[in-house]
Amino acid sequence: MVFGMLDGVFFKLGPIPVDHIIFTEWVIIGLIGLIAFFATRDMQMVPRGLQNAFEAIIVFTYDFFTQLMDKEHVAKKWAPLLTTFFLFIILSNYSGLLPGAAGLAGFQPPTSNWNITLTLALITFCSVHVAGFAEHSVGYLGHFVSPSPLMLPLNLVEEIAHPLSLTVRLFGNIFGEEMVIAFLLFMVPFLIPGALMALSLLLGAIQAIVFTLLSASYIAAAAGESH
Amino acid sequence: MFRNKRFYICVLLLSSVFIFGFATLCMASGGALEQPGGHTPVIPNWYAIGWTAVNFFILFALLYKFAFNPINAILEQRTTTIESSLKHAEEVKVEVDQLRKEAQNNLTESRKEAQDIVARATKAAEEAKNEMIAKAKEESENIKAKAEAEIKAATEQAKLELKDTAASLAIFAAERVLGRAINEEDHKRLVKDFVDEAGDLLC
Repeated sequence: MVFGMLDGVFFKLGPIPVDHIIFTEWVIIGLIGLIAFFATRDMQMVPRGLQNAFEAIIVFTYDFFTQLMDKEHVAKKWAPLLTTFFLFIILSNYSGLLPGAAGLAGFQPPTSNWNITLTLALITFCSVHVAGFAEHSVGYLGHFVSPSPLMLPLNLVEEIAHPLSLTVRLFGNIFGEEMVIAFLLFMVPFLIPGALMALSLLLGAIQAIVFTLLSASYIAAAAGESH
Repeated sequence: MFRNKRFYICVLLLSSVFIFGFATLCMASGGALEQPGGHTPVIPNWYAIGWTAVNFFILFALLYKFAFNPINAILEQRTTTIESSLKHAEEVKVEVDQLRKEAQNNLTESRKEAQDIVARATKAAEEAKNEMIAKAKEESENIKAKAEAEIKAATEQAKLELKDTAASLAIFAAERVLGRAINEEDHKRLVKDFVDEAGDLLC
């Protein structure tokens, strides 16, 4: 298994080849979709069981982004996308922690591949500018020459640095964690990797929160500033 | 879900990312994935980017369909229900306040009425008592007066009877003392004298 790169064809869907990481993404999407389907299949006014838990997650993320962003209508508009980021990233991070995942080719965490984190960062990048234009129209372009036209190159670098930092941060953390666990499993197969895997649970959640939080703050900054 | 035009623009822009990736996938599917030696070049792999973007938007659509929309709907429904319940509770509270005020007023009026009734009854009882007392006094006065009159009459009667008895005794005694019968004239004179003296002594 070569981390950070795609590792060959897992199976072919007609003429389209599907590799391990894409298959893992499908499993994650299927899992989230099924949970969502069963949680909201029979909605009750007084929530119970799975509906209660799923509602709590959605409402918590919505409230979290509303508090983070100054404008409530912006938060309302972008909270679903950010919640999707959070759920996708956290389950991607945890997919490598399943027992025996190291031996199963289909369970490599998608977020340990920098192409996947780059995609997520590009979606954030697009969302930030869409949010900026949606709020300020053409006036948003003024943001690139603020506070002075001389700052244009620096502002452009900053715009590129945002998705780049998001990509590298998530990829680096998850890839590093996977590498350390794989190395420890090779050296000491018992107990020690277990402790690190427990730590990975925390790390996976933190990285998902950090990515989502930064995306939310970039969107809030683009939508909130007066340009 | 799709009412928001701005959101639509966002989705379109973002879609461009995976469309571009997908196009690359179709072109590169034969070569990029199956490099000699199993190694892919360390450049952005548009195959992975395209698939991930597609997958991400599928997940987004699934969540919109099965999570955000139904949960938003139920939250709005819950908000409406809670608001209407609160409004209803407020109305009920106002109604209860009004009823309580009415009950309070009724109670005050009832108390006042009861006090009036008690006052009237007390007054009537007082009047009846006074009347009875007056009547009793009057009756006792009458009885007393009647008794006095009767006593007076009886006294007079007794006096007369005593006078007669005394006269008879006096005559009898005088006849015994004198040893002779006295005539009518003496008789009258003696009786008169005796009675006068006896009467003075008795009275």
